[in-house]
Amino acid sequence: MLKIQEIRELIRLIDQSSIEEFVYENEGTKVHMKKPGSNIPLETVVKQTVVEPTAPAPKQEPVVQPTPAQPAVQAVEVKQEEKPKQEAVNTENLHKITSPMVGTFYASPSPDAPPYVKVGDKVKTDTVVCIVEAMKLFNEIEAEVNGEIVEVLVKNGELVEYGQPLFLVKPE
Amino acid sequence: MQSETRRKLLELFSQAKGDFISGQKISEILGCSRTAVWKHIEDLRKEGFELEAVRRLGYRITKAPDKITANEIQFGLQTEVLGRHIYYEEEVTSTQKIAHKLAYEGAPEGTLVVAELQTTGRGRLDRTWFSPKGTGIWMSLILRPAIPPQKAPQLTLLAAVAVAQGIQEVTGLFPDIKWPNDILINGKKAVGILTELQAESERIHSVIIGIGINVNQEIEQFPEEIQRIATSLSLEKGEKINRAELIKAILLKFETLYRQYLQHGFLPIKLLWEGYSVSIGKEIIAHTPNDSIKGKALGITDEGVLMLEAADGVIHYIHSADIEL
Repeated sequence: MLKIQEIRELIRLIDQSSIEEFVYENEGTKVHMKKPGSNIPLETVVKQTVVEPTAPAPKQEPVVQPTPAQPAVQAVEVKQEEKPKQEAVNTENLHKITSPMVGTFYASPSPDAPPYVKVGDKVKTDTVVCIVEAMKLFNEIEAEVNGEIVEVLVKNGELVEYGQPLFLVKPE
Repeated sequence: MQSETRRKLLELFSQAKGDFISGQKISEILGCSRTAVWKHIEDLRKEGFELEAVRRLGYRITKAPDKITANEIQFGLQTEVLGRHIYYEEEVTSTQKIAHKLAYEGAPEGTLVVAELQTTGRGRLDRTWFSPKGTGIWMSLILRPAIPPQKAPQLTLLAAVAVAQGIQEVTGLFPDIKWPNDILINGKKAVGILTELQAESERIHSVIIGIGINVNQEIEQFPEEIQRIATSLSLEKGEKINRAELIKAILLKFETLYRQYLQHGFLPIKLLWEGYSVSIGKEIIAHTPNDSIKGKALGITDEGVLMLEAADGVIHYIHSADIEL
């Protein structure tokens, strides 16, 4: 399910791009945005269906999101529909370490140094796994889980988005 | 760390703004004997303060030393939060490292770590920052803002504006900011700022802003390979600059901007930043780890992201890069 920040980030990216209309669908979540320049009515609709295998998700009220920094998109509506719980349950029990911000991914503390972690390494909750840097702010990302690194999803020096998965960890 | 009595004594002298305070009054306020007051005054002298003592009038400070211990910084400091806790050491590995440790141990917002000498001063990606003894300002400031982590990069632009304003006020020089937060004087780098974040996914524990300022270096004191591109404030100004005065000015500017930012967001900071920007409207090259993009700097977004228009008209949004002017 998309977080409000992720929706905000999407709006920002779309707003700054030359894309007129944007549709995104995944596991019952649908995001649809249009810019005022296009012919279609002016709105952004986000439909989210929660796939929660265990506990029911808290009911989310439709929200009108103020978007002062995004003048081209005038309203965001978040709608949520309950759906039968026969939807695919996430079978992979892997933990995703995601990026807390937009920036450059650094696998090691300096270009010559070995990476913080590699596949097969055991990590603890406070193990630093990488750095994400934006505007000379360096964010040391911690694993936040005990386990083993199964996959490194990003290459050194790559630009990562907010919420983008960086590592897969098999929790212990 | 300094003693509480010492801190109070300097605060008294600060408040007196250069007027005399009688020994009697000092002993009453500090709650110690006249002899103890005299001893504290002597200690200040040993540290390089110049004090005038006049019968029946009392004491006053005529000159603070060009040192940057907590004494000199807090003497006349007008902030409420920033720099109210100072951790000074003559020699450190890096002020960032110490600030990290202090932050982790719960140091309050506004705690400042400052040193005369860094043995392993760091820049971007562990590049060394040349920080010889007694010539510059090497300091790290701990902030604990209640903002989402993804907004924290904005604070690095705020820091640049605060330092630029402080330099302008104390030296009369006109600093330029090169995106995101290098400060240049007459085209040469005088200040570097590096910020580190301690955060969980949704919450900031602390933001540690490391500021390195070349203040009183002579040109020979820079390694040869950077003499062409680096400078110090005194080289540009033609006279020595009092470092404690500069730190005080920067802290006060910083506190004012930081309050504005927490209350009104990034927009007021953005406008000030643009006022100092050297690159807007110019052709620049953004070197990212995997790419170099050449184009015209259009400005920054409301998030502080650099907008670069390439020759083909495509606008690139730069979150992280080395800028070549």
